[in-house]
Amino acid sequence: MRTKSGPRWKSLMLPMLAALAIAGSLSAQAQATTPSGTLTFVTNADPTLNPWTPGAVIESNLINTILFDQLTRYSTTDLTPAPDLATSWEAAPDAMSWIFHLRSGVKWSDGQPFGADDVAFTFNKVILNKDLGANNSSVFSPVDHVEVVDPLTVRFVLKSPFSSLPYYLAYFAGILPAHVLQDAPNPLQVASFNKSNPVVTGPFKVAEFVTGSYVRLEPNPDYWGPQPKVKTIVFKEVSDANTQLAQLLAGSVDMVTVTNPTLLAGVEHNPNLEVIRQSQNIWYWVALNQGDPRFTDVRVRQALLTAIDRKAIIDSVLKGYGTVATGPIAPLQKAFYDANVPSYAYDPAKAKELLAEAGWTPGPNGILQKDGKPLTITMPTGQFGYLVNATLLVQQYWKAIGVDVKVNVMEWNAYIQEVVVKRNYQATLAWWSTPPTPDITPYFSSAAAERGNNIPNYKSPELDALMAQARSATNQQDEIKVVQTIQQNVAQNLPYLFLWYPDIITVLNKRVGGMATINTPTAFQYAADWYVKP
Amino acid sequence: MTAYIVRRLLQGFVVLLMISAVTFFLINLAPGGPSSAVNFTSTASEREAVLKQYGLDRPVVVRYLDWLGHAARGDLGTSINQGLPVAKLLGQRAGATLELGLTALLLATVGGVVLGILAAAFRNRWPDHVVSALSALGMAIPGFWLGIVVIILFAVRLGWLPTSGVFSVGAQFSIVDRLRHLALPASVLAFTLMPNIVRVTRSALLEVSRSDYVRTAHAKGVRPRAVLLKHTFKNALVPVLAILGLVTTVLFSGSVVIESVFGWAGLGRLAIEAANGRDYPVILGVTLLAGAFVVVVNLVVDLLYAAVDPRIRHG
Repeated sequence: MRTKSGPRWKSLMLPMLAALAIAGSLSAQAQATTPSGTLTFVTNADPTLNPWTPGAVIESNLINTILFDQLTRYSTTDLTPAPDLATSWEAAPDAMSWIFHLRSGVKWSDGQPFGADDVAFTFNKVILNKDLGANNSSVFSPVDHVEVVDPLTVRFVLKSPFSSLPYYLAYFAGILPAHVLQDAPNPLQVASFNKSNPVVTGPFKVAEFVTGSYVRLEPNPDYWGPQPKVKTIVFKEVSDANTQLAQLLAGSVDMVTVTNPTLLAGVEHNPNLEVIRQSQNIWYWVALNQGDPRFTDVRVRQALLTAIDRKAIIDSVLKGYGTVATGPIAPLQKAFYDANVPSYAYDPAKAKELLAEAGWTPGPNGILQKDGKPLTITMPTGQFGYLVNATLLVQQYWKAIGVDVKVNVMEWNAYIQEVVVKRNYQATLAWWSTPPTPDITPYFSSAAAERGNNIPNYKSPELDALMAQARSATNQQDEIKVVQTIQQNVAQNLPYLFLWYPDIITVLNKRVGGMATINTPTAFQYAADWYVKP
Repeated sequence: MTAYIVRRLLQGFVVLLMISAVTFFLINLAPGGPSSAVNFTSTASEREAVLKQYGLDRPVVVRYLDWLGHAARGDLGTSINQGLPVAKLLGQRAGATLELGLTALLLATVGGVVLGILAAAFRNRWPDHVVSALSALGMAIPGFWLGIVVIILFAVRLGWLPTSGVFSVGAQFSIVDRLRHLALPASVLAFTLMPNIVRVTRSALLEVSRSDYVRTAHAKGVRPRAVLLKHTFKNALVPVLAILGLVTTVLFSGSVVIESVFGWAGLGRLAIEAANGRDYPVILGVTLLAGAFVVVVNLVVDLLYAAVDPRIRHG
């Protein structure tokens, strides 16, 4: 990736820009030397303080983002990889390895020095150790192993080109302390670490973990960057979404992410609160199981998307907080996003035509049929967010063109078992939240069908080749070109029916200062910059 | 008496064994799997590795016998999603639930009995109507809704009480702080438990007040208040105790809801999280603890019958 000069140049510039930005914010707030104030966030259950432990998911992600530094983090301006524990990186000319230069003088919160051994341990013994089943570890499958070049340099040796590696290293990919975890039988299941006091390099460390109640963080005096300006960060356990908002209104919580826009009514007009709309690389979709021969005809997929009024669903179910999706790469990836692709505007007549071309004609009862068999689709859905409501609307739109949809509402965990584990569905509506990289391999590659994140089990050698080509691009111009072809390809062939990019709604108390607004995961990678306004 | 207690405890042990078997097989028959493995983003290889680590790739019967063997030695297993011993999790959470539950039970009993006496004493007059209207409300209003309303009123609008939690973050132990956090959840839980106690107290009092010895007391010229409290109330206590036994068992299910609304670090929330995340060993642990609690409460209530009513003898 990127030519040698490209990332180098960028990674040198960014710290300078960051330094300028920090200098600016310091003078603006008249330089508080000792940390002060408390910021309180919510989490919905006891967190697990190890980003790789299976089961450490939504309740743990933001806390772990503060505690564990990564090799890279996202730039707060355009979400490209920026320096964190690595200060610069470059790919080998043959694209078969990456070198990462590590920051010097970094210490773990127990005083031990950080170095290449920690990175090698995190990858070789944890992420790439298949027996552990580490969270998200499958995305690193192109990595063969990590070599220690010298105490402050590591080499990622690849099995196949992997241009997007620096992006994935910024995506919930904390580095673990080798000296603390290397002797454990399972480094992901050390209770004294995960559930009490992990050893970290981030700006804050754990001061107190009261199970079922809260986790309290305090500044890490050994932090390599400028000392944090906030004295205490608390993550309170509040599982109920209504109670979370009540707490925000009462001022006992400083930030809540609202997944259901209908709950916003009470907070929109509160003078102390600010409602922020953020964009993330999240796309909702309908998957049509490619194991079902009816859906292998591209005209059927195009027809079923054309029959859905996505704008109307966004306006009703999402209360307008979203935009119609054109593909798996969201508009916030400005350099790569291509809006000029087939977009399938709502047109039920066109949908019926396409289905007729594919051989589906109205039967006696108005239901479309082919060879005497009615077009009946079973569509399981899970009780999570607004999935059920959106699914019921899709059912109505499809019914209007003569498709008989049987919706089956399931409890969330049971839904995952049926749809993700067993792939036992004909159509289903869900979403992907992905790192802001144009690399879509995990969700589309033939290798990820059946066993990976390719939920529709779509297999296209042509698309596989294009995605491999994008991963071997050695400069951004080449990569942009391939990624545009990929976007055309998936918009034409619709491996998934692309629905919408939702806005993430974050409600923030106005007393919180210094928080990056681009999106929440990125904001938490820069917790050292936060302050509490007087 | 001792023989009776021993016999009841042995029966209780058998009951717990049956509960463990039924629960184990039911939760394993339910669709889904532990959320550390059955996660939307997990790939098959990640999932299979986690299931193997916890031995979930073995047949259910083998896993039950394995669990039983460990349980017999006092080891309730390890939480699949949290990685902590189940006994430790139960220990961490039981105190908070006990605190909430006993306070609510005390409030509901005192309130319920007083209101029940009031309703009986003023039968078919306005205090009786007010009390029965309150009970109807307590029966009809769902606990989670009432919980959110009182949070908005007392914590958000008036700012008198904290919105959630068992105690203030990072604070030294303080009884005042604890009570301030306890006030709302315990009151809401008590309010939902109270109606049964009110109604049983009232009807038991009315029942007894029609008996011969109460009429005789009135005829002797005993003051009405003395008749009510000494002659009637004491004899009406047996059904009230019976309902208390029942209320204590529903206390647990009520606290599941209340603990979620008030962010209370108790067993109820642990149970919900374990059920949603199919954390089999934790579900079993909580169920057995609740089962053991019910067995003991029932025994205590039966023993209390004998203490209140000398005609009842356990042999």
